[in-house]
Order: sequence, then structure tokens, then C-alpha cells
Amino acid sequence: MSDDLKAVEVTDGGVIADVRPPPGSKPPTDELRRAAESRGNRTLYGDAWYRLRRNKLALGALAWLILLVLAAVSADLWVPQHFGKPNAIDTALIGTSRLLPPSPTHPLGTDDLGRDMFARVIYGARISLTVGALAVLVAVLIGILLGALSGFYTGWLDALIMRFADVFLAFPYILFAILLLSVLPEESRASIVPVVLTIGVLGWPSIARVFRSSILSVKENDYVDAGRALGASDGRLIIRHILPNAIAPILVYATMSIGGAILTEAALSFLGLGIIPDPVRSPNAVSWGRMIDDGRMYLTSNAGIVLWPGIAILTTVLAFTLLGDGVRDALDVKMRD
Amino acid sequence: MADHLLTVDDLKMYFHTRDGVVKAVDGVSYTLDKDETLGVVGESGSGKSVTALTLMGLIQMPPGRVEGGDATFKGRSLITMKEEDLRAIRGNEISMIFQDPMTSLNPVYRIGHQIGESVRIHRGASKAEARARAVELLGLVGIPHPEKRVDDYPHQFSGGMRQRAMIAMALACDPDILIADEPTTALDVTIQAQILELMQEVQRRTRSAIIMITHDLGVIADIADRVLVMYAGKPAEYGTLDEVFSEPLHPYTWGLMDSIPRAGMSEKSALCPIKGQPPSLVHVPSGCTFHPRCPYAKDVCRVKVPPFREVKGSHGASCHFAGQPDFVRGCSLDLEPEAV
Amino acid sequence: MVQYILRRFAQFVPVFFGVTLLLFFITTLLPGDPVALRSGEKKLPPAVYAALRHSYGLDKPWYAQYGDYLGSLSPVHYSSKAGLQFTGPDLGDSISSGRPVVDIFKETYPYTVRLALTAIAIEILVGIGVGIVAAVRQYSIWDTLATLGTSILVALPVFWLGLMLQYFFGIILKQWTGGAFYLPISGASGPVFADWVHLILPSVTLASVSTAYAARIMRSQLLEVSGQDYVRTAFAKGLGGSAVLWRHEMKNALIPVVTFIGLDLGVMLSGAILTETVFNWPGVGLTIYQAIGRRDYPVVFGGVTLVLFVVLLVNLLVDISYAFLDPRIRLGGQAEG
Repeated sequence: MSDDLKAVEVTDGGVIADVRPPPGSKPPTDELRRAAESRGNRTLYGDAWYRLRRNKLALGALAWLILLVLAAVSADLWVPQHFGKPNAIDTALIGTSRLLPPSPTHPLGTDDLGRDMFARVIYGARISLTVGALAVLVAVLIGILLGALSGFYTGWLDALIMRFADVFLAFPYILFAILLLSVLPEESRASIVPVVLTIGVLGWPSIARVFRSSILSVKENDYVDAGRALGASDGRLIIRHILPNAIAPILVYATMSIGGAILTEAALSFLGLGIIPDPVRSPNAVSWGRMIDDGRMYLTSNAGIVLWPGIAILTTVLAFTLLGDGVRDALDVKMRD
Repeated sequence: MADHLLTVDDLKMYFHTRDGVVKAVDGVSYTLDKDETLGVVGESGSGKSVTALTLMGLIQMPPGRVEGGDATFKGRSLITMKEEDLRAIRGNEISMIFQDPMTSLNPVYRIGHQIGESVRIHRGASKAEARARAVELLGLVGIPHPEKRVDDYPHQFSGGMRQRAMIAMALACDPDILIADEPTTALDVTIQAQILELMQEVQRRTRSAIIMITHDLGVIADIADRVLVMYAGKPAEYGTLDEVFSEPLHPYTWGLMDSIPRAGMSEKSALCPIKGQPPSLVHVPSGCTFHPRCPYAKDVCRVKVPPFREVKGSHGASCHFAGQPDFVRGCSLDLEPEAV
Repeated sequence: MVQYILRRFAQFVPVFFGVTLLLFFITTLLPGDPVALRSGEKKLPPAVYAALRHSYGLDKPWYAQYGDYLGSLSPVHYSSKAGLQFTGPDLGDSISSGRPVVDIFKETYPYTVRLALTAIAIEILVGIGVGIVAAVRQYSIWDTLATLGTSILVALPVFWLGLMLQYFFGIILKQWTGGAFYLPISGASGPVFADWVHLILPSVTLASVSTAYAARIMRSQLLEVSGQDYVRTAFAKGLGGSAVLWRHEMKNALIPVVTFIGLDLGVMLSGAILTETVFNWPGVGLTIYQAIGRRDYPVVFGGVTLVLFVVLLVNLLVDISYAFLDPRIRLGGQAEG
């Protein structure tokens, strides 16, 4: 009956190859759910962990990230010894060792000042990962606080906070960051604090909104179902019920946001607004974005200076996205039940 | 044997899924003639909707597959028909209305446009002609001021009106068969009655056949001429309304009738729900699918699948003991298995 | 519908004031030396400094300064001599060139507009097209490619993509074809609307990430819509696959996609600073970037402010247009039955 799927259909709109058979009833879902349930009953997060473990892509991403974190954290122990310091310039060797292609001694080649690219990429991971994680942490803390206030105490406080969030959301990301960072004194940019705060402050509205809507929906359930029974222990039980459910979407969002924060940090560094290495306070500060900016002029001589940091950013952000997807799939199904 | 408008013969539709084979429809047979109403009754998951959707070819073919049997409409097989031929029949000679009129209508198109769509496709009508027909149909289904309402959007109609509009849409091309899948379940009781009355009036006027799918015995009693009781994809019982209601043969039918309140019951009599749950369609019980819930089950019921046996004329049931004179019904709470 | 528009407007007003307040805060109250921000960082004798400070109104209380600030933003000015004039907002003068900031941007904005419009066109054609193909042929190789491709695009830094495109299409291609065929990678020559070759690489770069998002949204919307009951009804009426797709599904699925693209237009009109910097495209973004480097704060602040209001306006328009797209909002209300 449906063999003739490629029949060409002439409608009054033109000729388009007709491909799809009519979709329609899918197998009864209760059926499949019962079959799935036979696998056994688990707790909310236990089941999520089980699902996550089965997601190959997410696991791969997680493994890559763990590897990266370990490499970055332990960098001081092995990088300078084998590849040299990321920011140190050996004036004696510059002439011979600049812009070299990849080789056993320099796996990713060298940059225009003779510095080993691999070392720089590893140290760059430190900045990216730290800034990414901390910025998201800042956004989550502010967002949860304001979102909770908004969700619990509806009314004028809610309206005020949401308007406040709208104001922040009206700013295109990069512009706001540029504005903030350009007014800060340059000395402050030897540390990661300005960038972390800037990106964090950009991110709180989305988190606040997500948290607020979680609270609102759970609040409805609780009050309707157990309103009478709870009585005085209202607040306590609500916190105990709401938190586990409301935290789940935050977890997903936060994981994916780290990728976004890393991209933003790279962009800001590319524009020259990122971290500035200071020989005293932050001698090993390297940013992938800054590396790309520095390497622009040398595209013709050694494209690697631009290529490798970019690939590093790409893989790291992709890993966070895949991990976030995996976390969402793992938690989402449970949430639907 | 007279030629029927629609003959369904031992139709089987299975879904092949990752978790197993779902035998949604497993050997259903019935006939349908002009001006006749067939009531298909059963619980959720009994396969009553899937049967109808299979006739229309609206089942997604992987994972679904017709594993056997046939459905013949006006002498042609709906099962082996090519897609473009089926498309010519859908909305034209056989049309269908669904359970939830709110979600079954496209929110971004006007009602008149949606009603007129089938006329435009199947009869090549112009926009003006289609609109006129839509106005006419809206009047037919009892919508006041149809010339004005025809330009409204679905969300501007109330629930009952939307269902009327769906009926209007289904009637646009004067179909020979109208399939109604739980058309009143989502509506208020008073509106339910109106819709059923409307359908009967339409039938009187057009002499079309109706397949009424429902879980509500009251609806069946109201408008069906013949009844097909389905359980777990299989036909439990089939016969005329009179036959099935006054002399039901299958224990499941007895259970259905006993579990609803009926006029004339004394206050003291208990409602007897059928114990247990409908079975998984993947792991179907052995033998008679109803045996785990049947108070009269014997060993043979666990082992052998009961064939559908005609007892009187076309009235029959799939039960090993159907039709035996001592096999009568009692409340399933008093477990008194009959000696055979 | 009028209600809807009025409500949107009512939400817009506090956000507008909130944004101006925030801008005011960042550009005037926050920095250490607002005088330096306006007239450069040369060391000034105290008398001159005080005079400047007074002329900028910086010795007034903060709310008075805010009032001045709002006044300066108004594009219409009233003077007793000339009456009501449309002069454009007063954003100060550039420190490096002394020219009014507004004039600088009057020259550069057309370039940004051109870039943005081209990029949007690409986004619409490619994004919607890919989304449709991926949804219609779900689980096929095309769907997998689309999902993979969009995931990667979304994870890579836009500026890096631009550089890589420059590298391959500008440099490598030139080498391979012996200088015969290549795409220009920098600048824009000739009058605004004549030179399109230079537009290719920048607009593709700018469009890339947005197109990926648009494709994803289109795909997910289409998939969601195809599971709706009214699609089943359409098939039950005898419509074929493509008729159902184009007439019933697309009209519904497109609504959020159009909204997204509209908002995206706003973002692109906000200067695409990263893309313009990479390709030396003489638009708003490049102007701001160069001003950052030169510490020409009036240009930076003026540019961000200008662009911000364009974004706010576009967002408001997109919001309102939603009423036209969705008849449920346009005609609201239930009828009797």
C-alpha cells in the first residue's frame, strides 16, 4: 500500500516529490512504558545516572572534559619542563624557533615569538575552564536567589525582578560586556575577576527565569495537593519538594551555559578586553581568544597559531553541549513521569 | 451473499517495536452496509481506534504492518490499494472525525477554509464554491449564522461547536462511511446528546454508514445497529444491538454491562467492576486473552485460543463456552464457575 | 489585538528606562574618572579639569545628571532660536578626531545594515531549508548531517570561523588557482551598494551561527507540529504529504522561527563586532572596536547606546508582529456556542 512513496504530487503550488506516508497512530505508549518499567524502579537521580551512562556521546564528552581539566590543573607539574613556559620569551632562540610547524618537540608548532603552542593551549584551557565555570556559578547564584524571590513572593517584587531581568536581556551579550570591561581600569584585568563577573552578570536573567517558572509550577502542585495537610511546615516541605525538581533544569542549563561562557570569554579576549598577563600576578595567563587575535597576522606563515586554539575552543564547547544534552535527556524523561 | 459496503475479514495489524511486537488488532471481522451504524466498544488499548485507522491507511507503516486479513470497500481492497487511490477515498468516500475537536482543527486557518478543503481537493471546486458549501454544511450541523461563522478561527468556537464543525468537514463530500472515533468523550454530557442526535439526523438524510468507536455503552445503546466488542485487539463479541444487549455471550460483555449503573437497579445492588487490568499487548496472555480476568476461566481457557464462534446467525463470541445453554451470567463477585 | 500591542508597549517603557539607567550608571557613575572618559586621559591643570567637569554637568546630583543624559539621547532638540529640530541624539565628540559621534555612525551604519541584511537572507534560505529537510527526512543521513553540522557551528567561535574562511578562500584558494580565483577577505570598496564580492565571506560568517540555530528551531518546530492532531485530520481528508507539509504544518511551525529570525536581525544590526573586525568591514562594529583600542570612549559608549536602541526597537516590533502571525492572539476571545 505505501510502497509507492515516490509518487510525484502535483498540487496547485508546484511539483514536489511526495515522500512521506501519512503519519498516524503510533504504537500505544502505555504498552511501551510498561515494558520499560519492568527494568526496575530507581530514585530520581539514580535513574538519571543510569540513563546518562548509556549515552555514549555524553560519556565521551565527559571523558574529554575530565582529561582537559586534569591536564590544565596539573599543568605546572609537567608543561614547563617539557615545553617551556607559555608566556616566557627566550630572546636567544626567537630567531630560529618562531613559527615552526608541528614536530615531536613542538606537537602543535610554535608561535611568532617562539613559544610552544601546545603549552599555550594547555594553559589556555585553565583560563577558559575556570572563567567558564566561575562565570556560570556567579550567574546561577544570582539567578537562583532572584528567581526564588520572584517565584515565592509573587506580586510587585516578582514584577520588579522580572523587569530588571528584561533590562539585562535587552543588551546583546557582547556589547554589554564591552561596555563594562572598557570602563574598568586596566590594572584590574590581570585577574580573571572582571571577566568572570561580567559574564556572570550577563547570565543571571535566564537562570532566574527558569528557576522561577519551576517554582511556580511546583508551587501550584504542592498547594493544591497538600495544602491542608502541611499547615505550619509549609516552608520546609516546599523547599524539600521544590528543590530537587527545580534544580534539574538549572543543572542542564548551567552545563550548557559553560560552553557559552567559554565562547564569550574567547570573544572578549579576541577583542582585547580579556585577561592581561601580568609578570607578577599572573605570569602564565593565556587565553585562547587572545591567541587567535595574536595569530591573525601570521595566517599566511603558520596558520596553526590560529587553528589550534580554535579547535580547542570548538571541542571544549561541543563537549559541554553534548554533556548538557545528555544530562537533559537523562533527567528529562524522569521529569515527565 | 449480498455485497456489503465494507467487509472486514480477519484483519490483523501489528506494531513492530524495539520492546516487542504489539498486536494491536488481532483478527477482527465485521460487515457494514448503507444506513447502518456499527458500534465498536472496548477499553483503552483494545484496538478499536487502530482498526479504523488501518482502514483509512492512517497508520505509520513502519512500525505498523498489516499481518493478515483484508478490508474490502465497494469491492476494492483497502489494504493492498496504492497510496494515491487511498488518498482519493479519504475525506471523500470514507471520512473520519476524531476525539478532541480543539486539537484536531488547525488553529491558523479559518473554519470555512478547512471545511472547504476536501471539496477543493476531491471535487476541484473553486474557492467561492468551497466557501458556499462550507456555509451550507455549517447550517446543516446546526451552527447559527453560518455565513458569519464560516470566517472564524477554531479558537473562536466553543467545544460543541467545534465538533459540529468537524462533522461538517467530514460530510463535505457526501461520504459513504463516516468513522467517528470517540466524538463525544471530550464534551459535556448535554452536548454529547446533541452531537449524537445530529449524527443520527445526518444519517437519516444521507443514508451513509457510521462506525462509532467508543468506550461508552450508553452511546452504543443509543445509536448502534450492530455492536463489536473488542478486547486486547481481538473481537470478543459481535452481533446486532438487540442480540448483544439482551443475550450477551461473552463474559467480558457481561462484565461491561455489570460495571455500569443502569436504570432500574436498586440502591442496594453493587457495581461489579471487572477485576484486573487490561493486558499488555506485547506479552499477551496465553490462550484466551481474557482468561486472567475471567471469573469463569477453566484450564482450556489458559491453553487454547478460542476461535470466534457464531452462535445465532452472525451473533457470536470468542469464548470456548459461548452459546452453551448453562453458560449464563451472574455477578463476577460470586465466583461460581459453571460445570461444563 | 490592540490590547496585546498596548500591553507590549507598557512592558517596553520600564525596560527602556531601565536600560537608559543602566547605561547611565555604567558610563557616568561607575568609572573612576568620567572627565577622562569624555575628553581623553591627558593630565590637566586643576582649573581646566574643574571647568570641564562643570561643563559636563558632572557636579550636579545624580538624578539631575540622569535627566541631562536622557535629554541628550533625544533625537529632537528644542532651542529658543531655531525651535524644534531633528538633530539626532547628542552622543558627544570623538576624542581622537573631535567629530560628533553621531556623524561618525551615520557614515558607518549603512555598511552594517548591508551586512546584516545579506546575512539574514542567507539565514532564512539556508536555515529554513535545512531545517525542513532534516525534519521531513528524520533519521536519514541528511538529518544526522544537519544535526551534527549545526552542533559544530554553534560551538565554534564566530571570529575563528571568519579567519578560517579567510584562510581557505582567500589564501589557499589563491595559491591553488595561481592567483586566478579567490574571495576578497578584507574591507569593502566602492559605494555602499555596488560592491558585492567583498560581502560574501563576511555575510556567510555572520550568518553561520544564526543559521545553525534557525535550522534547529525549524526542525524541532516542524517535528513537533507533525505530531499534532490537526495534521492527522489533514491526512484523513485525503491530502498528500507535501500538501500537508506546506499548507498545514509550515504555517504553524514557522511562527516561532520567524520570531527568532526577527530577533536575530536585531542582533545583527547591533554591529556584529567580531565579524566586522575580522574582515575589516567598515561598519559600526569595527568603529567601536577601533575606538576601544584608542580609548575613544565617547565613540564606544555612543556606539553601544545607538545599537542598543536599534535592538530594543526591533525586539518590540518583532513582539508586536507576533500578533499578526498568530490568529489566536490577533483575534483573541471565545465566541458563544
